[in-house]
Amino acid sequence: MNTLRLYGRSMAILIKSQLQYPLSFLMQTVAQLVMEGGEMLALILLIDRFDRLNQWEAGDLYFFFGLMSVSFYLTEIFGRGVTGNFPYMVRTGQLDTVLLRPRGVLTQVLCSAADPRRITCIAVGTVSLVIGSNLSQIDWTLPKILLFAESIFFSFWLILGLFMIEAILCIHSVKSVELANTLTYGGRSACEYPSDIYPRPLRILFTVIAPFALVMHVPASAILGKPLYGWPMWTAFVTPLSGLALFGIMYLLFRKAMRFYRSTGS
Amino acid sequence: METQYRGAVLGGLICQFFFGIVLVAIYRALYAGKPQAMPLSHVTTYVWLQQAFFRMLVATDPELLDKIRSGAIAYDLCRPLHLYGYYYARILAQKLTGSVLRALPMLVFAALLPEGWGLCLPASVPALLLALLGLILGLFCVSALENITMAFTMRTLDPRGMQGMLNLLMMTLAGNILPLTLFPDSWQRVITLLPYAQLLDTPIRLYTGEYTLSRAPEALLIQIAWTLLLVLAGCAFWRANQRKLIIQGG
Repeated sequence: MNTLRLYGRSMAILIKSQLQYPLSFLMQTVAQLVMEGGEMLALILLIDRFDRLNQWEAGDLYFFFGLMSVSFYLTEIFGRGVTGNFPYMVRTGQLDTVLLRPRGVLTQVLCSAADPRRITCIAVGTVSLVIGSNLSQIDWTLPKILLFAESIFFSFWLILGLFMIEAILCIHSVKSVELANTLTYGGRSACEYPSDIYPRPLRILFTVIAPFALVMHVPASAILGKPLYGWPMWTAFVTPLSGLALFGIMYLLFRKAMRFYRSTGS
Repeated sequence: METQYRGAVLGGLICQFFFGIVLVAIYRALYAGKPQAMPLSHVTTYVWLQQAFFRMLVATDPELLDKIRSGAIAYDLCRPLHLYGYYYARILAQKLTGSVLRALPMLVFAALLPEGWGLCLPASVPALLLALLGLILGLFCVSALENITMAFTMRTLDPRGMQGMLNLLMMTLAGNILPLTLFPDSWQRVITLLPYAQLLDTPIRLYTGEYTLSRAPEALLIQIAWTLLLVLAGCAFWRANQRKLIIQGG
């Protein structure tokens, strides 16, 4: 509990400190808006040209897109320590100071950075969710609301877990590893669309190895009333847990990797 | 320089392959539902050529930004060089080596993919030659664009606002996120005239035959015109900056 309070206070301070340069902050958030807006524009234009993607109609596609951008950028705002800063900390030897303090390494890394600029990306995602929900005429019953919240919550852990792969690799090899981006940023781009449109190898990758399909697409398609892979409704409540499971595995690997950490600073 | 970090290059390549495969899979699924006038093989070719020459689009020279911010640019000012020309040549060289090194394995891979997934053959031999010419002009054009972005940084000292925005705009309007050929037909006339379309879109359309041989001279002329215009604008911008430049640091 104490750790959570510490994390909350760190986040408040970090966000406040970034707001000290309002103009720079504004420019950067607008830049983020252009980026995510560009992605959404691509989706709008695709829907304009093709109308639908297999059994998924326009509204469904907006919903999947929005779910991905909200969860992905929530992780980037609150998990910036892992998603952005960690390789830098290892490369410069800053991690040494972290090791001296009487707190967990991961806690401190998570407390070390926040990225509130991404708020505009979340705004774009929210707009997409609302459009999708309206077009697909989702009837928001209590179970569906719970399912939605559950999906976002576990997506956070899934994406954080995937970013930890990069953290683990960079402890071993110091040089930053672009390969890990395949699963994180590649996963984000690919899983803006429901995973059943992909050929089998990619479907397996996004269901078993990086379970975006289990954490996002199964609950989202249940909310839309078009179960993914034809799985029954109740599975949608269970499968998102795999996000936390993936994070758990990565956490254990991370602790193991930390024993190999050799300082690079001077 | 590029060959010194083989691991990073390989990692980047695998990442690009992956993005390419995912995009192709999406377009295949879309085409299965509603085929378009433009054949699917042209779309997949567009995707692979964009992925192969992606390096041309991304900003390359973090060193200059550091130099401007730390004040080390004073050394460059002492050199008996035309500053704009010097940086233009640097950017051009980095973009050329960076993209050639990545494009070759990428294109080989894309050509080996099964029918309907990979790269199609160029429309004709002259089309291929014209596409190559277009690509070279695109390289000159993108270097001129980047020099203008750099000039903004000299003013604001922060690469993340204005430049970040320009770079992101470039990704969309150069056809990296979505092929320009899939933009609404009514937009085509305008977006193909923008400077961003001159970088990769024009050479790709020449390659696939979207621009026929009789239209090629017009397309190449637009590329040349933009390149000249951007170089002149960049030169003037740099000269104005040099007069106002405050050397940071001490």
